[in-house]
Amino acid sequence: MAGISLDNLSFKYPGAQDATLSKLNLNIADGEAHALLGASGAGKTTLLNILSGLLRPTGGVLRFDDLDVSNQQGRERNVAQVFQFPVLYESLTVAENLAFPLKTKKLQSNVISQRLDYICSELELDELRSVKPAKLSLFQKQLVAVGKALVRPDVSLVLLDEPLTAVEPRVKWRLRQTLRRVQADLKVTMIYVTHDQTEALTFADRVSVLTAGGILQTGTPEEVYASPEHEFVGHFVGSPGMNFLPANALGVADVERVGFRPEWATLTGNQSSSTPKRGHLHGSVLRIRVQGAKAGRPFGLVTMATSQGEIAIRGYIPDTSITAGDSLGVCVHRCIGYTNELKVSDVEFL
Amino acid sequence: MSSFKPQNNRAWIGVLPVLLVVAFSAVVPLMTVVNYSVQDILDFNTRFFVGFEWYQETLNDQRFIDAFVRQVGFSLTILVVELPLGIAVAKGIPKESRFTPIILILLALPLLIPWNVVGTIWQIFARPDIGLLGVAINALGISYNYTVEPLHAWLTLVAMDVWHWTSLIALLSFAGLTAIPKPFYQAAELDCANRWQVFRHVELPRLRGVLIIGVLLRLMDSFMIYTEPFVLTGGGPGNSTTMLSQHLATMAVGQFDLGPAAAFSVIYFLFILLFCWLFYTSVVRTDD
Amino acid sequence: MRKFSISRLVLIGYGIYLLLPLYWLLSMALRTNADIVGDFSLLPPAVTFANFAEIFSNPVWYKGFVNSLSYVAINTTLSLAVAIPAAYSFSRYRFLGDKQLFFWLLTNRMAPPAVFLLPFFQLYSAVGLFDTPLAVALAHCLFTVPLSVWILEGFFSGVPTELDEMAKIDGHSFGYFFFRIFLPINRGAIGVTLFFCFMFSWVELLLARTLSGASSKPIVVVMTRTVSASGLDWGVLAAAGVLTVLPGALVVWFVRKDLVKGFALGRVS
Repeated sequence: MAGISLDNLSFKYPGAQDATLSKLNLNIADGEAHALLGASGAGKTTLLNILSGLLRPTGGVLRFDDLDVSNQQGRERNVAQVFQFPVLYESLTVAENLAFPLKTKKLQSNVISQRLDYICSELELDELRSVKPAKLSLFQKQLVAVGKALVRPDVSLVLLDEPLTAVEPRVKWRLRQTLRRVQADLKVTMIYVTHDQTEALTFADRVSVLTAGGILQTGTPEEVYASPEHEFVGHFVGSPGMNFLPANALGVADVERVGFRPEWATLTGNQSSSTPKRGHLHGSVLRIRVQGAKAGRPFGLVTMATSQGEIAIRGYIPDTSITAGDSLGVCVHRCIGYTNELKVSDVEFL
Repeated sequence: MSSFKPQNNRAWIGVLPVLLVVAFSAVVPLMTVVNYSVQDILDFNTRFFVGFEWYQETLNDQRFIDAFVRQVGFSLTILVVELPLGIAVAKGIPKESRFTPIILILLALPLLIPWNVVGTIWQIFARPDIGLLGVAINALGISYNYTVEPLHAWLTLVAMDVWHWTSLIALLSFAGLTAIPKPFYQAAELDCANRWQVFRHVELPRLRGVLIIGVLLRLMDSFMIYTEPFVLTGGGPGNSTTMLSQHLATMAVGQFDLGPAAAFSVIYFLFILLFCWLFYTSVVRTDD
Repeated sequence: MRKFSISRLVLIGYGIYLLLPLYWLLSMALRTNADIVGDFSLLPPAVTFANFAEIFSNPVWYKGFVNSLSYVAINTTLSLAVAIPAAYSFSRYRFLGDKQLFFWLLTNRMAPPAVFLLPFFQLYSAVGLFDTPLAVALAHCLFTVPLSVWILEGFFSGVPTELDEMAKIDGHSFGYFFFRIFLPINRGAIGVTLFFCFMFSWVELLLARTLSGASSKPIVVVMTRTVSASGLDWGVLAAAGVLTVLPGALVVWFVRKDLVKGFALGRVS
């Protein structure tokens, strides 16, 4: 196991105009579960291929612990990877698949059987040991692929490339739970690449958000959600994303724009406020989606049109009779100020 | 064939033309053959029913047995050479290069040369007096003359068949190899698999389907081989390269032994079906 | 390191092995008989086109080409004409005995042509087809039709049935759909099938020789007979060889894009 560090890491495809990755800096601690979150085309796959040794960086340094591995072959790095679809040796049984990476490392047979027993019990694969992959479900196959990645006792880094893509929807959550539990048990450094924010935020200790070949923010899921360093992060993370309005809409000074999460505001009923107050808005209801009730009060997502743009508010709905077209007030409790898309200030309204 | 298709017996209308053509060119002749095989035919108006006599005679005929042994030996030899060679050639073809189409066209070329021309090409190429190969081997100090030495004739025949048909295995394997997704190679690399393990555990299992087709085609076609040895060696020297088809052609057209030739034909056809079936069931068995 | 793998060396070696006999054929075709049997040399001592001139001026030779091409043309047309509706039926419907019929068709591909020599000879003599291109074309159908049905069925199955239903909803007749929509979509498949029919019909000798007499002698037969008649006319023989390789080379060139796909037959895995 190892800590991973990227030092001004860059990559440019030969003949391409722009760099696919430009000057990435990132430190991943030993034993950390890290997620790389980004839309397709953000450079996730390129970064993954550099980490696994399929591509060589064209600038900067990649280190495993203190060792510069930038120019090492994949096989020298002690890296394992789980792919979008299950990649197994089809002519070998589950047990032979799991033992394969150990045998190529010429480990002793008692070590191999010990590791096999351990992984099989950890992933509950014992009953499938002598089965060939063709007879397994996608979920089971991907589980074996995960096992194959974790079986090496000395693995430095496990890469997971959207590992839930091919798995049947109803067992997706089970595989994610298993991954999370095994990671916590084994303390293996893992990098989980995905475009799905729910997967990233629920799996990882820390998340890096990528776009256009650069890392916009790295932090715990809470940090990334609660304090987006960049407007794109606020927009991309969260469902729906952050609301953005011109700064003057909330009466905030010294920044261009303000952003607030749908939960950071409450609806205040139909009030025709006389003077514009800091943190207060009003607009007309576009859509209401009731998602449940808490303590007898309806709870849901309300989309509204204000004079400065459309916003979404999540919380209690003050009055069950509200319908589309009604005029409502909004009280924002907290927002973040952005200039040039970057976070400048954190504002709490009293 | 997929199993989610509507039942419709009117679809027989579409199949009818094929049935008529194939019935005319297969069923009628085949019935004729079976009919002849149980009769002694002196001329077209004088014939006797002889039951399985011709079958017994054929199976006890030393010339048939010799031709059969030669045939099996030949088919197995060319399979043993062409299968690994074809796979190795396919592995050598670059997957995405501007040379790839040229290589594929060159490989396909021998498959489109008339079979007797293949024989002619090798005759011209291998003759010890005027052939490049024949002259070259003799120049190395090895006495070589395929028109006189049975072993040389045999080796030349195998070399010719390898030249003629390895491309088929190579093209099929190449189609199979290009269908393997890249992550399979990447995973093997990270597992520190060596080249042999990549071939054995990644490529070979994925080539299984095309190789079954390839072996089946080569098995049937090599069992029917007639033209190339006919042109190259004429079955000689002696009978050393006389395969089943040539033996049959001599009997039927040369000697006009209709009854025995027909019995021979039926046995011959059944043997090919049996070989293909044995091969097919054995590979499907090992699957489970 | 990976660039000079063993298999790349095998490919290069095999490529040389493939080309040497062809080079020698061409090289012989460009020599006079005196040069051929004279001193051995790698390159023709003096390039001559006399052998080719002989072929183009002798009617036996070029009639042989015409005869061959005419039965190849009849065979491919006939094979496609019967195989297309059958392949469509197999790919779209289940019907009584479909699997058995499909398998039976394939077993015909396994029959050695030599087995059919005599009955074909008698059959075609009886119906007065002996010594016509049609006889050879029909005989070759025994091998090309099953293969065509097999290849086309594979391709047709890949075309979604929604296409058929859409055409019906749009109010097109079946004939319009089949000829104006379905067949144009499967142009590539038909091209590949054509290639395989050509491949068999053009290269086969045994049946072609048995079923053609003096008036419909195909080129492959002319080659074998002329050689035995004139003894050792190696130069003309080699030139004829070169000329018979050319149509094959042309066909590969035209279908080069579909070739790999065609070999995979959509049935690889």
